[in-house]
Amino acid sequence: MIKTMYQHAKKHPGLIPQFFFVFLGISGASVYLLRLARGPHVSWDSRNNPEPWNKLGPTYQYKLVAVTTDYKRLKKEGPDF
Amino acid sequence: MAHPSQLGFQDAASPVMEELLHFHDHALMIVFLISTLVLYIIIAMVSTKLTNKYILDSQEIEIVWTVLPAVILILIALPSLRILYLMDEINDPHLTIKAMGHQWYWSYEYTDYENLGFDSYMIPTQDLNPGQFRLLETDHRMVIPMESPIRVLVSAEDVLHSWAVPSLGVKMDAVPGRLNQTAFIASRPGVFYGQCSEICGANHSFMPIVVESVPLEHFENWSSLMLKDA
Repeated sequence: MIKTMYQHAKKHPGLIPQFFFVFLGISGASVYLLRLARGPHVSWDSRNNPEPWNKLGPTYQYKLVAVTTDYKRLKKEGPDF
Repeated sequence: MAHPSQLGFQDAASPVMEELLHFHDHALMIVFLISTLVLYIIIAMVSTKLTNKYILDSQEIEIVWTVLPAVILILIALPSLRILYLMDEINDPHLTIKAMGHQWYWSYEYTDYENLGFDSYMIPTQDLNPGQFRLLETDHRMVIPMESPIRVLVSAEDVLHSWAVPSLGVKMDAVPGRLNQTAFIASRPGVFYGQCSEICGANHSFMPIVVESVPLEHFENWSSLMLKDA
């Protein structure tokens, strides 16, 4: 399949940006899916670890990019469960 | 507040709303440019006297009309994500107010220092004074100090409501049994109007929200007066 794509792209160079953006989109989506699966966002083991997102401390960085928030200095507000 | 035959947003009264306004201008300009280009191409295609119009293959134009939309989308996405992160910043509010939705009025509780609570009913049209706005005025306004970060906890006592003030760029659903949080800074003194934004029964259109932003001393005077009256 890769060889066919390469041969087509050589014959029609207009396909190159299309392949590039499709590849970018597919890889971006899968990287994000893996990030969600590996993090505390999904419940994989319903018996031993049913809700991993409830076990996070206040310094956990839950956003993708930490723009201005200094996560190390956050303190826990509010009571425990 | 909104004025008759208004087309755009209301004037921004908070920094976040300003950002949203500018982003909307940016995205709308891109939309206008694209629509003008497409309209021009349509007219050019339809009104030409050339006979050989239907060329079936061209690599250059394929590259252009793949890369250019991707670039445009990135130009829209980057400011959008910036504002998304800006709206979600942890902001250390100076004051917390609880806005509870009822059928069909709002009640506000200022419980940081003393226990101040009051209801805010719409003023019926026949009781309006000259110069007041129909279906928008309330008997008690939610007064806040200007230029301070305010946190509003929104909930409901009976059915779904939604606490919205367009000029502050704020809308938060009031769900019974749930506490939703929103925050804003009123950058200037003034009176800002909003209306309930989730259908809640017969008088859903008649439970407006009025936020009055005043300097801090006036806010302190107002809250002492309200506490005395209660």
